[in-house]
Amino acid sequence: MARRCGTVGRLNPFPEIGFVAARLAVIALLANLLAGCGSYLTHMLKLIFALPLLPMLSVAAEKLPDRVRYNDHVRPILSNQCFACHGPDDKHRDADLHLDTRAGALADLGGYSAVMPGKPDASEMIKRILSDDPDEIMPPPKSKKPKLPARDVAILKKWIAQGAEYEGHWAFLPLQKAAVPPLAKNPIDAFVLKRLADEQIKPSPEADAATLCRRLYLDLTGLLPTPEEVDAFVKNPDVAKLADKLLASPHYGERWGRHWLDQARYADSDGYATDLFRAMWPYRDWVIRAVNEDMPFNRFTIEQLAGDLLPNPTKSQLVATGFHRNTLINTEGGTDPEQFRVEAVMDRLSTTGSVWLGLTIGCAQCHTHKFDPITHREYYQMFAFFNHGEDRNNKGATVPVAVGEMFGKAPPAKAETLGVGELEKLQDEWEVAEIKRQEAAGDKANKKLLGALQVLDAARSGEQRKLAQAAFEKAEPRAKKKPIGNGDPAAKIVEQMVMRDLPKPRETHLFLRGDFTRPDKEGGLLKPGVIAAVNAVIPGSQTDFKNRLDLAKWLVNPANPLTSRVTMNRVWMRYFGRGLVETEDDFGMQGVTPTHPELLDFLATEFIRSGWSMKAMHKLIVTSQTYRQSSKARPDLAERDPGNYLLARQQRLRVESEIVRDAALCASGLLNPEIGGLSIRPPQPDGMYAFTLRNKSWKTSEGAEKFRRGMYVTFYRSAVYPLHATFDAPNFQAACTRRPRSNTPLQSLTLANDPAFLEMAQALGARMHKEGADLNARLVRGFRLCLGRQPSPKELATLRDYTLAQTKDFAQDEAAAKKLAGPALATLPPAEAAAMFCAARVLLNTDNFISRE
Amino acid sequence: MNSEDHTLREITRRHFFQKCGVGVGAIALNQMLAAESQAAVKINPAFPMEPRQPHFPAKAKRVIYLFMAGGPSQLDLFDHKPELAKLTGQKPPASLMSGKRFAFLKGNETLLGSPRKFGTYGKCGMTLSEMFPHHQKIVDDVCWVRGMTTDVFNHGPAKLFMNTGFQAPGRPSMGSWVTYGLGSASKDLPGFVVLQSGPRGPRAGAQLWSSGFLPTSFQGVPLRGNGDPILYLRSPEGMTRERERKFYDAVAGLNKARLETTGDPEILTRLNAYETAYQMQTSAPDLMDLSGESAATLEQYGCDPAAPSYARNCLLARRLIERGVRFVQLYHTNWDSHGGPGENLNKDFETVCREVDQASAALVLDLKQRGLLEDTLVVWGGEFGRTPMGENRVTLGRDHHVDAFTMWLAGGGTKPGIYGATDELGFGVVEGKVHVHDLHATLMHLLGFDHERLNFRFQGLDMRLTGVFGKLVKGLMA
Repeated sequence: MARRCGTVGRLNPFPEIGFVAARLAVIALLANLLAGCGSYLTHMLKLIFALPLLPMLSVAAEKLPDRVRYNDHVRPILSNQCFACHGPDDKHRDADLHLDTRAGALADLGGYSAVMPGKPDASEMIKRILSDDPDEIMPPPKSKKPKLPARDVAILKKWIAQGAEYEGHWAFLPLQKAAVPPLAKNPIDAFVLKRLADEQIKPSPEADAATLCRRLYLDLTGLLPTPEEVDAFVKNPDVAKLADKLLASPHYGERWGRHWLDQARYADSDGYATDLFRAMWPYRDWVIRAVNEDMPFNRFTIEQLAGDLLPNPTKSQLVATGFHRNTLINTEGGTDPEQFRVEAVMDRLSTTGSVWLGLTIGCAQCHTHKFDPITHREYYQMFAFFNHGEDRNNKGATVPVAVGEMFGKAPPAKAETLGVGELEKLQDEWEVAEIKRQEAAGDKANKKLLGALQVLDAARSGEQRKLAQAAFEKAEPRAKKKPIGNGDPAAKIVEQMVMRDLPKPRETHLFLRGDFTRPDKEGGLLKPGVIAAVNAVIPGSQTDFKNRLDLAKWLVNPANPLTSRVTMNRVWMRYFGRGLVETEDDFGMQGVTPTHPELLDFLATEFIRSGWSMKAMHKLIVTSQTYRQSSKARPDLAERDPGNYLLARQQRLRVESEIVRDAALCASGLLNPEIGGLSIRPPQPDGMYAFTLRNKSWKTSEGAEKFRRGMYVTFYRSAVYPLHATFDAPNFQAACTRRPRSNTPLQSLTLANDPAFLEMAQALGARMHKEGADLNARLVRGFRLCLGRQPSPKELATLRDYTLAQTKDFAQDEAAAKKLAGPALATLPPAEAAAMFCAARVLLNTDNFISRE
Repeated sequence: MNSEDHTLREITRRHFFQKCGVGVGAIALNQMLAAESQAAVKINPAFPMEPRQPHFPAKAKRVIYLFMAGGPSQLDLFDHKPELAKLTGQKPPASLMSGKRFAFLKGNETLLGSPRKFGTYGKCGMTLSEMFPHHQKIVDDVCWVRGMTTDVFNHGPAKLFMNTGFQAPGRPSMGSWVTYGLGSASKDLPGFVVLQSGPRGPRAGAQLWSSGFLPTSFQGVPLRGNGDPILYLRSPEGMTRERERKFYDAVAGLNKARLETTGDPEILTRLNAYETAYQMQTSAPDLMDLSGESAATLEQYGCDPAAPSYARNCLLARRLIERGVRFVQLYHTNWDSHGGPGENLNKDFETVCREVDQASAALVLDLKQRGLLEDTLVVWGGEFGRTPMGENRVTLGRDHHVDAFTMWLAGGGTKPGIYGATDELGFGVVEGKVHVHDLHATLMHLLGFDHERLNFRFQGLDMRLTGVFGKLVKGLMA
């Protein structure tokens, strides 16, 4: 039985841009273990893991823990029963008593204290809890809380007897390396099995090889295995070997790069109302390559947050800083660039907070965080790191990048044109120098030109502008050509936006109530700084921070308690549908505690020990028995753990929107596996931009380009490609750390009727026909192309009956049959062709097809 | 719910499993029952939209929510403030401004009376500006809530707050709660439909009609204004209705087989989604076909049947509820009258008023005439109101105001008349304050739900639309 712990609803005013960071009130789930051990457990362990018999793990339900710990045992009780009136909120505190801090609990209340360490019976808290007097008893009758259960009272008493030690919030405590229970070879399994044993639950058996093979392909590459690849695995089900192969595939970088791009809020447009196209695809390519090369996560972090601040940065390191140029740009008329500069800075801060720290830093924009130890002042100290950036809404540093360059292809030898930013810079420099030259020339000076140059750019007359431009073009012939912008979707050389700091840092003040028009000048200038509560647990950490590079290094300091936990928790979430900490974006007080704290810390420490190698961690996870379990529902768990928090099975997961498309491209054989480069535009219906400010040009991709993976579909923030929108791709107004998984009739209609899927169904039908000798073989082939596995007799009969009926039906209606068969099936007799299309369409519409089982 | 109802429902459920031959194994059934134990409402997972009884008998059976995205200016439409007009150009009283925060005001703004002419109408004596002439016709059918207040002054969070009772995304919207509680009487249209009009979509987008932690069956389904009302509604050329039936049956056959093997209740939702999709292929075009509407009706709404508009959406809303849809929500932009381009208080405001006035009134009158108003709850309002101070952008406008604004309710057991009052400058509510949570509690009550009991267990908490807040406003109910 799991204990549920209470929580407090929260309601903070926070501005629009930061709301991704805020999260709901949540609880600590499954805090106490109640356990015993049945002999069937050891039996199962023997069966499944072939391990030696284990000692009995018996903990009587009534037995109190030897050492009562505040976080595990006491805080849930106090939080549930006491904090509403005796907690952190100054406005709702009764009797001026804090029970959320040790000092508050021990405070002298006039000769007595709520908690007297070592003396439970003398502690007022215990007396009041045990009182029979309705005026005395706690919680009081008016709270409508029931009397505390005896076990809770016993825990509180033992805790006080043991000294009433408080603990900090779990996520801010240093990583703990717990002893791995001797239950399995893979430490992941050991921790999971320990927990299951405590709950007397058996793990599930391993998934069948075909399902496991498809699971590995989808999880690691996002593509389907061919039937031959499934056969090879079924013959030799060596998960480690297959994992190595898939981790070495260039498609691994696409799959896991895409997860990262969600967090980077990568898109192909500016956002806001105007939402112009922007070329950020070099950054996307950088991510794919970095993931494929297994760039250590600490370097991966540093290059993206501060590549420009490294000594002699390479172009690749500059492109990496595009991470924080994925912020929105408002090019609407009449906007205050300062407002949107500040919004971008705030977004960088809340994104950094949620991606690396799992904290809702944005809450501290207007006031000190209500739940987490982040002060209003600290928010603006972190703000200062990003406030030094020179970019201002749509103006900022860029670098020219050519298609393929991020994958090592040499760029064109000599750039014949200049980038917008480069050109502006050259022109500024030239103008300053030219003014000096002209002034020095005395009487010989070109007075007209000098006059023109001395006037500010925007204030020049038409003639002056022409004059200045002509002189500049004479000095710099490259200026004659139209500069490379980043607004042309077809350009193969683009200027990608990158980070650059001002030579002299911008001053940072705290903004009163988060309002950029109200800097707190009296509060003084703020220097860059980090969250003190987190910094406190990093031994020997610096206190003097200069710039983003310092911040990045601090984030990946091995002693930083959050970065590795947060990162590994999200990796886990991708494999099991849920993190070990369910609130993967809130590791603060309002988040839930981990279901498997020791496992989480094991993963976090192992990640660092491996040299921050993602591939090493992926391999460790996918080779675990926990990952390899069947995802079938278990009747014995329907009551006890319907949400599968204890991991006694795998989880069926509907794949992401991009993968829905990729899977259909794989099954139909149409996939163009080219990696990176320009984004594509598959056909989409008219009117997609009805609700955007400007109609976008959507020049449909032709030929093989049309069949590239879903992640390359051009992503307009204001008008998401319908497949992506319908299957829950985010709109990337802010970092997305977890996508929802909906299940709607609109998805059904998309798979059934979207012309893109119909074309894939035709190709799949043709492929089934070609690769099978008779109807049965063709249908089996279809099942295997789509689902990896063999159909059950019932499934095969269902599809066979349908296909036969359709053949008969279309024999009477060849005109319709020809329309449905399309060019892919045109060589077959129309009725047979249409029936093959119909069978293929059914397969692409099964729940199984879009699920990773 | 009495025990008899409960027994009936159990019988129906067993009946479903036997009759439909789903052959769902004990596994899936147990799963569903376990999932249900988290819900205060018993949901039949195979038919999540099966109609359900509320906590107690109620007038309102369905909702049409006319969401005025951007925040309409109550001061230029409903809440006549002659004193404000007198003080135009003066600094606002410091006592009213202390501690207040606004989205865009910089602190040097001055009071701005409405340039619009007002009149007093109906038995209730409601003041309406010249911008809303058609509203004069419904003035005594409507419950005027003058004392609305909210907590948030930015669009995204404020819209989320008005729709979900919470400022951050992730909570179920009101439409999701209502369909979770009541199901829907429509078998072939989604129970919760969203219609949009105006120059752009509402900020916060699909999160406004998200089902949050409730099952995804309860999320709002947006209908498109152009072309097919639903994307990819049309079957490929050559597929007749009969052929499609066979296609959907074949898909269902394979999904049922997989359900038996895996016991994953998500497949049941998928089965249901496919069946609804098939039904929608005929019901949606039928819904959109306005050829049966009389010329008088079209004229009443001011609706051009061929062009997407708020007026057409109002008419569609009536047609949707006639077809049993439980919750219809219209979003119309842009009421964000800051004074910037496209959102000034002059022409742009007049445009949006014209777009909204006639059809909103026509909808109430049309429902009344058809005897539908009695049990249909109509809600009209934005995410907040606008400031008594002017805001200087390109032209004069008003900023977001959270402390006092007007909404109106009609039908479904609401009490016609004026409820609440604001101070003479329109800064705050002096009488009959209705907070967003209170409005939610009251609307749920009108639908037959105790807002404290319509909940769903999520992450260990019994979550509800009103959180731990919300009190009934008796004065809004007949």
